[in-house]
Amino acid sequence: MRTDDTDVSTTKPSKRQHRAAMVAEAASGGLKAILVKMALLGVVDAVALYGLFILFLQQQWLIFALVALVTLVVNWIYFTPGKLPAKYLTPGVIFLVVFQIFVVGYTAYIGFTNYSTGHNSDKAQAISALMSSAQERVPDSPSYAVTVLDQFGTLSFLVTDPGGEVSLGSADSPLAPVNDATITGGEAVGLDGYTTLSFQDILSRTAEITALTVPFSDDPNDGALRTNDGSSAYLYLSSLVYDEQADTMTDAQTGTVFSDTGDGAFVSATGEEMLPGWRINVGFDNFARAFTEKGIRTPLISVTLWTITFAALSMATTFFLGLFLAIVFNDMRMKGRKFYRVAMILPYAFPAFLSALVWAGMLSESFGFVNQVLLGGAQIPWLTNEWLAKISILVVNLWLGFPYMFLVCTGALQSIPAELEEAATVDGARPWAVFRLIKLPLLLVSVAPLLIASFAFNFNNFNLIYMLTGGGPRDAAADVNVGATDILISMVYKVAFTGQARDYGLASAFSIIIFILVAVISVIAFRKTKALEELNR
Amino acid sequence: MTVNTKNLLRLGALLGVATLALAGCSPASSDDTAGDAASASTLTVWIDAERVDALKPAAAAYTEKTGVEVDLVSKDNATLKDDFIQQVPTGKGPDITMGAHDWLGELVTNGVVSPIELGDKADDFLPVAITASTYDGQVYELPYAVENLALLRNADLVPEAATSYDDMIAKGTATGVTYPFLVEQGVDGNPYHLYPFQTSFGAPVFGTDSTGGYDAAQLEIGNAGGEAFAAWLSAQGKTGTGVFNTEITGDIAKTAFTSGDAAFWLTGPWNVGAALDAGINLAVDPIAAPSTGAAAPFAGVKGFFISEQSENKVAANDFLVNYMATEDVQTALFESGEVLPALKASAEAASSDPIVAGFAAVGAEAVPMPAIPAMGQVWQFWGIAQAAIINGEDPTATWQKLAADVQGAIG
Amino acid sequence: MTSVDEGTRVIPQKRPFTFKRWFGRTGWRHAIGIVMVVFSGFPLLYVLSASLNPQGTLTGSNELFSQVGFEAYARILNSPDAPFAQWFGNTIVIAGTTSILTVFLGALAAYSFSRMRFTGRRVGLLTLVLVQMFPQLLAVVAIFLVMSTIGDLFPAIGLNTQVGLIMVYLGGALGVNTYLMYGFFNTIPSSIDEAAKIDGASHARIFFTIILRLVAPILAVVGLLSFIATTNDFVVASVLLIDPEKQTLAVGLYKLVSNPNYADWSAFSAGAVLAALPVMALFLYLQKYIVGGLTAGSDK
Repeated sequence: MRTDDTDVSTTKPSKRQHRAAMVAEAASGGLKAILVKMALLGVVDAVALYGLFILFLQQQWLIFALVALVTLVVNWIYFTPGKLPAKYLTPGVIFLVVFQIFVVGYTAYIGFTNYSTGHNSDKAQAISALMSSAQERVPDSPSYAVTVLDQFGTLSFLVTDPGGEVSLGSADSPLAPVNDATITGGEAVGLDGYTTLSFQDILSRTAEITALTVPFSDDPNDGALRTNDGSSAYLYLSSLVYDEQADTMTDAQTGTVFSDTGDGAFVSATGEEMLPGWRINVGFDNFARAFTEKGIRTPLISVTLWTITFAALSMATTFFLGLFLAIVFNDMRMKGRKFYRVAMILPYAFPAFLSALVWAGMLSESFGFVNQVLLGGAQIPWLTNEWLAKISILVVNLWLGFPYMFLVCTGALQSIPAELEEAATVDGARPWAVFRLIKLPLLLVSVAPLLIASFAFNFNNFNLIYMLTGGGPRDAAADVNVGATDILISMVYKVAFTGQARDYGLASAFSIIIFILVAVISVIAFRKTKALEELNR
Repeated sequence: MTVNTKNLLRLGALLGVATLALAGCSPASSDDTAGDAASASTLTVWIDAERVDALKPAAAAYTEKTGVEVDLVSKDNATLKDDFIQQVPTGKGPDITMGAHDWLGELVTNGVVSPIELGDKADDFLPVAITASTYDGQVYELPYAVENLALLRNADLVPEAATSYDDMIAKGTATGVTYPFLVEQGVDGNPYHLYPFQTSFGAPVFGTDSTGGYDAAQLEIGNAGGEAFAAWLSAQGKTGTGVFNTEITGDIAKTAFTSGDAAFWLTGPWNVGAALDAGINLAVDPIAAPSTGAAAPFAGVKGFFISEQSENKVAANDFLVNYMATEDVQTALFESGEVLPALKASAEAASSDPIVAGFAAVGAEAVPMPAIPAMGQVWQFWGIAQAAIINGEDPTATWQKLAADVQGAIG
Repeated sequence: MTSVDEGTRVIPQKRPFTFKRWFGRTGWRHAIGIVMVVFSGFPLLYVLSASLNPQGTLTGSNELFSQVGFEAYARILNSPDAPFAQWFGNTIVIAGTTSILTVFLGALAAYSFSRMRFTGRRVGLLTLVLVQMFPQLLAVVAIFLVMSTIGDLFPAIGLNTQVGLIMVYLGGALGVNTYLMYGFFNTIPSSIDEAAKIDGASHARIFFTIILRLVAPILAVVGLLSFIATTNDFVVASVLLIDPEKQTLAVGLYKLVSNPNYADWSAFSAGAVLAALPVMALFLYLQKYIVGGLTAGSDK
């Protein structure tokens, strides 16, 4: 593996020549490395500087500071000697922080807000949505043809009513008849002293035009003309009045006042909430709800037990089948290993939801392949009996998951030197003993953390449950929407996302609770499997 | 010496980096001014993947007429609504999205859609389409198609339409095929497909208020008609005639009917193509009623919504109201999907096809699927109760529990 | 099971073939292999059958292959608004780039965890696994926010760009798979590095020219796992990639069946069958590295 560059230096080890050799080392092999490093860092810094430039122009100071800081740190790490671990870890960690840690942080943050259906955006957007929905067309009012005019930057509507009468009005002056308008096809299209806006002009001034309300008369109760498309206008009355000073919404018909009481929506004195509201911070409310919600509390213990059982069994079955197969097909004497191995990967190469659908069809009670063909017309309720459904879930998950473990174990087996096995075999050890005493302990060094990760993955394996049984079979007599195969995460999904209501805040709070649960179990498991002790080697 | 060399190299590296960095900067700064002018006259429209082809000519013609670019983005139907609700507040959402009227409750409550003023054009649409597109007295959707269930009949097996449910079963059984009548169910039931039978017994989900909209306060599902329906359903299930079976999924029903093993099939226009392609001599009949009332299915109205945060509202309104609401465009959309157009003129033209006419005749009886948020509470209990009844649970008790659970959840 | 052979190993003379001996040696492995081929392959026959039946439903019937035709394949390959070939190419580029970079970033990290001792090492290792245990319910919303912010400032790597998508995937480069590599690195005696260090090789040289070769099997495994995961990802890709010509196979194909009423299962199945081919090909190609590592390891 050693390269030839260093050969010169080893012949005459005088101090000077030794130094020269080091220069040579730096200049030949080292120079190449430095050049590559330079080029890579150059690209990174070029991108960063460009980014900083853009951020500077857009005055995004927070992001500017962050990018600048990260760029400086990266350069510092790679341009100063030492800090080896940082040199190796930085690239991956940057992506990890931006895309994974941020997701975790964002989810945690949402757990403390009321983000849900009806509290989907900020207050300004909620007000504008309320006001635009509140524009009610005056009953039995006609449709007016309208032409948008401009005079010194002020917009006006040139209106032709269904009777052919032409009038002009703007935001400040109510409609007044005009008689010298240019008429084309029964519709007024221009007026002296005003510029008629073309469709293109209208498009470029969309915001101004959709916001323009032209009073019909001096009496505000007559309504005002508005246009959505720039060519026809209708008479509207707003059913809501927003008072910016007092920050209240008033129902124009009933006079009920809705005010912002800090609950993320305008609320009336009687507690009636006006939606859409907006997102606010609600502290620990979601966590409190997580423990008091009926749909969660009642089945909590049974679901938690099943979740842990499911995750543990899924991990164990996939691992042992994968490991067993990896060993079986790791024999050099066996012909056709390649073929078998490829077949083993097949379940992993197809989209899981497609396979889950096929399995659901195959396990159907009256029509499925398993009952109809394999079992000759038996009526076994694979997916509708509580216990059989649990078994079915485990079998399907075994099918979906063993190829992963098979691949990983096949790879990990290669780290076990063949001599070790040969020596043991020559010493007369039985294959089972060789496996149990030599291979398995060595293998567990590499895969123990993976088993814990597999446990955690299955703990949150929402997709499988959702696709195969939807958590069912559900007991129709129970008054909560939880079935026999529901795991914690799918139960959370059902509670937080029923029908049209999506409660992201509650779901996030649950995510955090579940995460803490999984993390604690995992950390304990890490301790137990001595995976962490192994680090101190 | 050595130290110097190393430092020199390092300095060189720094300089190189700086040069590259500067080189990176210079060409890039020029292109960020161009963006605004283009986006002002581009409408982004999210649509179902199946409808892209149908809209392309319409979009191109609109661009030619007005200069407004229409960017059609085909979206996954399953994630479209959630993506829309999440992305509109960020300002990154589309200007217009295609959708279904039963999303209205969620969209309006989230403040992500803007009302559409149809003006006098409202009269040009089928009444059910306008009723469905209205929420809290405002129209938010420009409808383009009305979907509802109807009864497909294999005319080679049964030459005449059935006059009632019992007549249908008798005629179907007389043919000797495996399934006299098929209706799609599932482990958790399928209330959508059973709703026509339920309405025939006089048990809608909600009553209506003075404006014709559904009123969550008037829960009708648990009335006497509902219990009569439950008893009837039980008689068709596992312990009765066995016509209804929760094991019959959409796939199984489709395979059975297209291979000629079924006489009647209660399904929607989406399965017509498969039946015709399989060479079935297809007739579309009104849904055979099991009781005295008409068997009224749910109508689903497809249409377009305008984003509340759109910066191109004028163009969006103009495109929808003055362009998408025209007969040519609605007819073109019809031809892509064979679903009854929402515009009267196009619907009439389309009804020259007996199959479309069959669906349209049933659609005249159809009621819009409720879009009010309370409906979400209904769905989670409804199907499971029906499935339990089909599978032999006590019908009256199960139905009463359903009504009580729904009432409890709506509060 | 193989106990019959103990004596025969040292006597290499030819002996007459007996079924019992063959079965004891490798035959039983074939028996297991055949059982597993049936178990893993059978459900996929439904997919294959559906793909060959132009009007096919996925699970409507147990009469597989009642109709055989290639209309569904022709349909997806020729459809104007489903640029299948383009999606196929995009998928290979995105999954290929992601898996190479994932292996690279992961190996760098695994090397430092395995060979260097620094503060925060244990916590760091644990964190890598724990981060991936967080329920991903809101991941899409969060990633959309990040990418839309990035896209506002740098459109070239923001929403609707493949580079952006690859960056998001690289967020998962350090994780469980790093742990797998870490475990494998640990099994390589550190005497190898030390010998090279004494010879004056720099840490980078040791890593790139010595260690990486020794851990080739696990690099191949991680690369394959990452390739498969990226190929099958739908959730992130569907939100980030908007233009049809930029999308991946998973995104494009899911649109065929996302509306249950209009689901085209035969076209989807045909697409899934075609999409599985590169994975198979990659695995066949990588097998020699995965298993070839046996001999490479024993050389040293």
